[in-house]
Amino acid sequence: MSGANPDQRRQRRARYRLRIAAVAACLTLMCLVAGTVAARVYHGRMLLLLVAGAAFAAFAIGFALRNKPSFLAPGASATGLAAYLLGAIALTSDGTDPLGATAVDALVNAVPRTLTALIPVEPMPDTVVVPVFLTWLAATLSCEFAIRYGRTLLGCLPPTLLYGAGLYLVGPNADAGPLYAIVYCVLAAVALAVTAAPPERRPDRDATVDGETPSRTPALMGAVVTTTVLVAAVAVLGPAAARLVTTSPGDPREYVEPPQLTDIDLNPLVRIAEWAKFPEQELFKADTSDDAWMRLAVLTEYDGTTWQSTGDFRTAGTVVPGAGEATYSADVEIIELGGKLVPAPADPAGVTDLPIAVNLYTKCLLTPDGLATGTSFHVDSALVGNDPAGAESARPDLSDATTVAITPGTPEIMVQIAEYITATYETPYERAQGLADFLSQHYSFDAEAPSGHDLPALGFFLGSPVTAGGQRGTSEHFASAYAVIARLVGLPSRVVVGFDVPSGASTVTAAQGQAWPEIAFDGPGWVRFDPMPAAGVAPIPPEDTLEQMEEETPSPEEAEGGGGEAEDFNDEALEQDGDFNEEAGSEDAGIPRWVWYALAALLLACVPLALKARRALRRRRRLRKGTPAERIAGAWAEVLAEAGRAGVKVPAHANAEEAAVRLGALEADVGALPRLVNAAAFAPGAVSKADADAATALVAPFSRTIRHQVNWVRRFLT
Amino acid sequence: MHDTSQTHPLQVPKRLQQPVQLGAAHAEQFAATFEALAAAVDTVLLGKQEVVRLALTAMFSQGHILLEDVPGTGKTTLARTIAAAVSGQWRRIQFTPDLLPSDVSGVTIFNQASGAFEFHPGPVFANIVIADEINRASPKTQSALLEVMEEGRVTVDGNPHQVPQPFLVVATQNPVEMDGTYRLPEAQLDRFLVKLSVGYPVEAAEIEVLRGTHQRSPEHLAPVVDTETVAQMADMAKNVYIAEPLYAYLVQLANATRNHPQVAVGVSPRGLIALTRAASVFALSQGRTYIIPEDVKALAGPVFSHRIQTAPDAAMRGITGAQIVADAFDQVPVPLPASAA
Repeated sequence: MSGANPDQRRQRRARYRLRIAAVAACLTLMCLVAGTVAARVYHGRMLLLLVAGAAFAAFAIGFALRNKPSFLAPGASATGLAAYLLGAIALTSDGTDPLGATAVDALVNAVPRTLTALIPVEPMPDTVVVPVFLTWLAATLSCEFAIRYGRTLLGCLPPTLLYGAGLYLVGPNADAGPLYAIVYCVLAAVALAVTAAPPERRPDRDATVDGETPSRTPALMGAVVTTTVLVAAVAVLGPAAARLVTTSPGDPREYVEPPQLTDIDLNPLVRIAEWAKFPEQELFKADTSDDAWMRLAVLTEYDGTTWQSTGDFRTAGTVVPGAGEATYSADVEIIELGGKLVPAPADPAGVTDLPIAVNLYTKCLLTPDGLATGTSFHVDSALVGNDPAGAESARPDLSDATTVAITPGTPEIMVQIAEYITATYETPYERAQGLADFLSQHYSFDAEAPSGHDLPALGFFLGSPVTAGGQRGTSEHFASAYAVIARLVGLPSRVVVGFDVPSGASTVTAAQGQAWPEIAFDGPGWVRFDPMPAAGVAPIPPEDTLEQMEEETPSPEEAEGGGGEAEDFNDEALEQDGDFNEEAGSEDAGIPRWVWYALAALLLACVPLALKARRALRRRRRLRKGTPAERIAGAWAEVLAEAGRAGVKVPAHANAEEAAVRLGALEADVGALPRLVNAAAFAPGAVSKADADAATALVAPFSRTIRHQVNWVRRFLT
Repeated sequence: MHDTSQTHPLQVPKRLQQPVQLGAAHAEQFAATFEALAAAVDTVLLGKQEVVRLALTAMFSQGHILLEDVPGTGKTTLARTIAAAVSGQWRRIQFTPDLLPSDVSGVTIFNQASGAFEFHPGPVFANIVIADEINRASPKTQSALLEVMEEGRVTVDGNPHQVPQPFLVVATQNPVEMDGTYRLPEAQLDRFLVKLSVGYPVEAAEIEVLRGTHQRSPEHLAPVVDTETVAQMADMAKNVYIAEPLYAYLVQLANATRNHPQVAVGVSPRGLIALTRAASVFALSQGRTYIIPEDVKALAGPVFSHRIQTAPDAAMRGITGAQIVADAFDQVPVPLPASAA
């Protein structure tokens, strides 16, 4: 209110400064929290610090210029943003390129690279620009709305949008963060509670009646209690509600075009024949900490013609997601190995000095620019899996339908071998090992064997006579045949192309390049098997072994089993897989969608009810509580509020008589209320309880009279 | 010069020497007396109730009145009627270019019979002084009124002489006929509590004027109150209650005129005090013992307008003090509870 002595004005100014400082602090922290949401998917704390700095700096600039002309703020904020972005780019740059070129590259490619970067995102110039920019923008707008214009609720909008943007960027790649939401909501509630509007613009809050300022304690207590109840409700009901959610948010990275593979990378098995013909070819140098098989590609999909890998490659930083602690390391320098696929041990944990993309399904690596002579990099690996001892008693892992899919037109020889393996061995591991033994004992290695791993080629490899060029091949044939027969037996399989790299420094040649099959077991994971024949051992003709098995085994017509069993085994696997899908389907079903819609509709319906209840409580408090003067002031406030709802606004500079003239447009009687308001506000003890009763009695008839003039939407909502 | 000695037997409170809490009865008596006086003046000056009440408000506020309007609208009649309605001593001075300061304040001459110098009071020694066409006198003569208007005394040859109390100057001036006139300086304008314009009467009132001109002369008006009563009523006005928020409201209004971009000089503190005094009287005339914002708004125009000096460019565009005051009221919120709810 405008009337106050110097002490009261000083106190009011002090309260105003305290409020505006509290609002500024809350909004700054809200921007920080909103920015931190995105920082959860970044590696390290660099982005968190950058976002925090951006929030504080942007808000500080806006706050410092709050009393200056508004046109100064955009220029100052833009200048600060440019300087801050340049600093952030310099801080996160590796220094290999000039700062200017790095900054231009980062600014041009910031959005696509941020959206395509693999989780955890490495804080690089091109991946920090977007979060820092958005945080700065949100803090600036928030400060302008809330501090300069006193619109606190509007000031909460930019950080809220930033929060949403952060959630979108994170997608399903981080755990639910209820603490962030709670902290954010509390900060917003505090900011709204201590409004930033100057006191002279909120005369209702600072009204003095009979020389006394109405107590704000009830309103403050109400805000605290409401906030406490809401926080408690979120804390108690939040986890339960979260358990009801069965779907994950969408991942923006799914909409991004992944790095494309070349033909040679799409089907790397064709390289095996070339490597077999030129075994002396030096592919790369490696300096490793241990013996390991370094993988080039993992192929899980077989369409009867080629083996292909599953899943898309996603751009990653130097850290590969989902990897454990590194126990293996290798320094690699490329010599003649071509293509884009990067040789790396299983379960890579991190790659330095080389931009990479990762296939989240197989954990294979790819460099978008391709390998070239002289390319060198360092790779770490957790080297988990491949535990034959644990696999001996394990069941096959049939969770992935891709690894057990069988293509129609399987050659008869493959079925016969599958029947033999099924009949001969009991456990899955024994069958896997037995299949490897069968191939290694009955077939021979031939570096000159023609390339090809389609079903006819594999049928030729397995079933044609030696004299016709059959029964011998390269690791391409052995691994492919093994994987297809394994699926007939009911074992999930895949083919891996890679290199056998010894520990220490060495030059890996084409002779070390090989394809091998792997079987998935429930527990140990993928286990490598070696179907390659031992050197110098003469192969046993496979037809001898298979014919012997047929003589010992009853025909399918006489007894169930044999070939039928192999097919059934495979069918069972598919059925189990089908069960898995059904199970997943039931989980997806969860709570019917209409329940959520009904819940949302109920919540929406509660909004006008809550508003009506709030208005009723406020009217009750205004008309019934306090001194007669306060009750008359409350009646006046109610009349003005009702008139406002009916579209008649009374400006702050109108006195009671002028206000009454304006209210006359509503054709509703306010009687002696203007006189009583003047008496209550400006005369010492001039109003009595009877006057207050008379004033408050005018409110209800007034409301009823103008009710039909209130817009129906407003009448319904408030 | 005219003297009146009749008094009106109104029951008013005794002279209030100490601040007292006014009751509703006091306010009602004040309002009745005020209204009786206004009604008496209304019988002579037809259709000008608002101007009459503003002029009487200024009189009971112990302030001076400047009436500015074109010739023939009733300025002098209003002044003479007010003087006639009060049974004190009143005098009229017709200001001309050759009028000397001593013609206003009085002279000291040597009395050969007594052998001593004697002071012969000028026409300013009266309860009500009508300064007709004040802007026709020279600045020197106009300034002779300065001391007496502000301090209620005249100093001649170093000797101060008190004028009778209550003391009221009702000056008139013609705004259109400027040849041979001397514009009142700002300092002197500031000493007038209100500046009023009578204006042309409405048609019905003007017809009524034509019907009975000879009957509505101030000379035929019997006094309604005496000067003692006026002084007592002026004392009552000093005890009107002003709520704390209204003080800030008044100061904010004055600041709004001072900070107005089209104003060179805003309202002075003296103008603010004048408004407060006038609002007090106005409140009592309405039967209230306390001031409300409506009182302030009713009087701010007459009290503030002539004290505001607009910037040269604004003056050339015809922006007046009254418009500045209206702008000020649009800027300052009224200290009503929940007025912005």
